[in-house]
Amino acid sequence: MSRRNERWMESEMDGVFKWLIHHAALQAPESLSSRLEEEWLADLECRYTALSRLGLALGCCWATVVIVNEFSRVQVPAASPVVATKGYITLADRNFGYFSLRSGTLFLILGLHAALFCGLVTTLSLTSGLATQSDLPNQVLNPVPIEVTVLPGR
Amino acid sequence: MGKKDTNVRMSLQTLRVLEAFLENPTVQLSGAEVHHRSAIASGTLYPILLRLESAGWFVSQWESIDPSSAGRPRRRLYRLTSTGLTRASEVFASFNRGVLA
Repeated sequence: MSRRNERWMESEMDGVFKWLIHHAALQAPESLSSRLEEEWLADLECRYTALSRLGLALGCCWATVVIVNEFSRVQVPAASPVVATKGYITLADRNFGYFSLRSGTLFLILGLHAALFCGLVTTLSLTSGLATQSDLPNQVLNPVPIEVTVLPGR
Repeated sequence: MGKKDTNVRMSLQTLRVLEAFLENPTVQLSGAEVHHRSAIASGTLYPILLRLESAGWFVSQWESIDPSSAGRPRRRLYRLTSTGLTRASEVFASFNRGVLA
């Protein structure tokens, strides 16, 4: 790939990352939207590899989901130089335990897979146990007499 | 809500964020710097920063630079408040005692 193509690719990818961040910030509560976009775009400049930048952009999308979930009733004065933390609702009532929402989701998915796997293993072992008995005696089969009937005319 | 509730859910990631600030409580850190120090993914980091800010443990402000002369956008800087410093110290002290605050 030539130098020119590499630059073009980088600028295109950079545009995608910025679009992702812009899109993520738009989904955030209105009072936080512009602040988050500016903050995330500034932090994007601190990431140098494409993978790291992609990680930040996707992380911002996820962060918005969490923020919308937690800050749906929050009104942060984003324009003030020092944010006064009065007058908005805290997250103390949103107690998800020791795990973050993402970790909880991951554990839930893993748990469901483990339960499904255990269920399959248990069911298969029961089914195979019913189908084949372990204490089958060896029996000699008596020869079955075969009667041959001759059809008339043959 | 008249009075701030300074109780914050303590997850491992929250502790790592606090630890990054407690190394030098007077320092102001941007989200990128906290990410660099604590290695927490951005999807987890920014909600934690906002959560701690809304609880009054952090305050944030825009970096006082001119973006055109600096050649980069201004960052949002966070720093511990006195309440945050006290509470974070209590949390880590309680861990040393084996009891979560």
